[in-house]
Amino acid sequence: MSSTIVSLIQALASGILVGGVYGLFSIGFSLAFGVMRIVNFAHGELVMLGMYVAYSVYLLTGADPLFAIPIVGIFLAVIGAGLYLVVYERFVGKATLQQLLVAIAVSMIIQIVLQMIYGPETRGVQSVLGSQYFIYGPYLFSYGQIAAFLVALICVGLLELLLQKTRWGKLIRAVADDPEAAEIVGANSRAINTIAFAVSCGLAGIAGCVLVITYPVNPATGMALMPIALIATVIGGLGSIKGAFLGGIVCAVVQQLTSTFWSPALQDVPLYALLLVFLAFFPFGLLGRKTAH
Amino acid sequence: MSEASTSLGNETSRPVAGPRIVVPVVIIGLMACLPFVVGANSHLLGIAVRALLFIALGQAWNIVAGIGGQLSLGHGVFFGVGAYGTAILFNRFGVTPWVGGVAGATAAIAVAVLMGAATFRLRGVYFALATVAISLCLEKLARYFIGVTGGDAGLAVRFIGDSVWAAQSRGPLAFFVAALVMVVAYYALTRRLLRSRFGYQLQAIRDDEEAAAASGVPVFRTKMGGLILSAGMTALTGALYVQFYLAIDPGAAFGLAQAIQIQLPSLIGGLGTAGGPVIGGAIMILVSELTNWLSARTAFHGLDILAYGSILLVVVMFVPGGILGRTRRGA
Repeated sequence: MSSTIVSLIQALASGILVGGVYGLFSIGFSLAFGVMRIVNFAHGELVMLGMYVAYSVYLLTGADPLFAIPIVGIFLAVIGAGLYLVVYERFVGKATLQQLLVAIAVSMIIQIVLQMIYGPETRGVQSVLGSQYFIYGPYLFSYGQIAAFLVALICVGLLELLLQKTRWGKLIRAVADDPEAAEIVGANSRAINTIAFAVSCGLAGIAGCVLVITYPVNPATGMALMPIALIATVIGGLGSIKGAFLGGIVCAVVQQLTSTFWSPALQDVPLYALLLVFLAFFPFGLLGRKTAH
Repeated sequence: MSEASTSLGNETSRPVAGPRIVVPVVIIGLMACLPFVVGANSHLLGIAVRALLFIALGQAWNIVAGIGGQLSLGHGVFFGVGAYGTAILFNRFGVTPWVGGVAGATAAIAVAVLMGAATFRLRGVYFALATVAISLCLEKLARYFIGVTGGDAGLAVRFIGDSVWAAQSRGPLAFFVAALVMVVAYYALTRRLLRSRFGYQLQAIRDDEEAAAASGVPVFRTKMGGLILSAGMTALTGALYVQFYLAIDPGAAFGLAQAIQIQLPSLIGGLGTAGGPVIGGAIMILVSELTNWLSARTAFHGLDILAYGSILLVVVMFVPGGILGRTRRGA
């Protein structure tokens, strides 16, 4: 087998593994948009916050970030609920420019506060999983990435179950479809929105935990992740959960292919081009419904 | 803050005397007196140049965002093209910045036409997000093409000493005068624009795009005109910036923090008003100097970004119209 094909398959497979985690935090971003029409520009910073908290837990207890998932997830969910009630609630329902500016302000504040606490250096954890590799023929996969992908799959499965089977999930979907109609039939949109935003941020925290196993974190990480959540969500169809997961995988595969065949420094450039193409020509994405706007 | 109710929405630009004119004129007038008070080589004059550059960028952004209602988060692109264009033409080809600045502005206008064509069918938040993407994309490219842009480290303009031809000077006075002229010109231009046919068309699109289109406003052409004007002004300011600082790097040109800095003067002072960016820019330089002073004493870096973020949050949440507030439908 020629080396090009080996590189191609390796890039595709790594892309899918990394993409699971991208999908995980993109779902959170998409959930906030789908249910509340909030473009949470600070979502990348929240993932980064999750990474730093997992790092702190590791420093204090030596626990592998995988075991920190529940703590970090809950911590971020609480932060998310607070953020929603204090900042975002007044903007619910219309994706306004004011809301976007406020979210940008939140992201700047989180970034600088974290930089003040942890310093500008890059920090990573020594996970048992991160440094070990699964080797199959010419292919090489980090156990950290495989574990991250599995965690992402489990979370997405649980979320889907929650949305489809529980009363709360039905209400969320109802609010996402038509907030006014949902209100009329008796849904308490404030409680539903708060929980949905908490789940959105909790997912960001979980994604942070699994990301920090393989990716060291520095204060610029959030700003690098935010465009991915945005692009994955737009590609998948704004507001669509499955679409965002799929979009995350598309993003990671594009990154891996660009990085393998062009340059790692330019791995994000085709993503921006994809975003513009989708915004201009396919605003409903791959799986979005026309009613999403 | 403003007595205008939404029913007066169409009269927002009627020429009102009072604080709207007096405050910005007083600020500009006081700044003009500065060299006579502190002398031609005072470092205070350098700070004043920074303030004027803040104001000029805010004025340029205000045209498209405040008057035209298109929230561009990509103005760093025009700024960067103007700054890099001038620096590259001078360093490589010995082109005088007087020509280089115009060439940079022309290039920025070309970019604006492409950007507009690609993004104007998008409304509101989608337009804003598209401009973010373009800005971040150019930042990556500027970091990658080291041969042209100097990569992460950026470019330093070749310094040849006091020279009119090279638009260089050891002291800040020349830059102070240039920046002051620029701010006064932009202020006059904005005031004129607000009362011109083109300005009314821009404002009509901002207030209600469908209604404007139905009344015969050429929507695409008007938006494009606003973006071109704004991009040209931003790029010229970028050219002056790079002459003053003699350096430019991808973060300072295309970074999101830069895009936010460009927006803050009009957001603080009053979006869509001629005087807003002047007031907002003056406030920003005070904040910026204060945080720099604190940073130097506390070893905390990024206090300015923290302050800008907090101001942005507070202004948008509690004073959405800015200091010279203007009530605005759907906003």
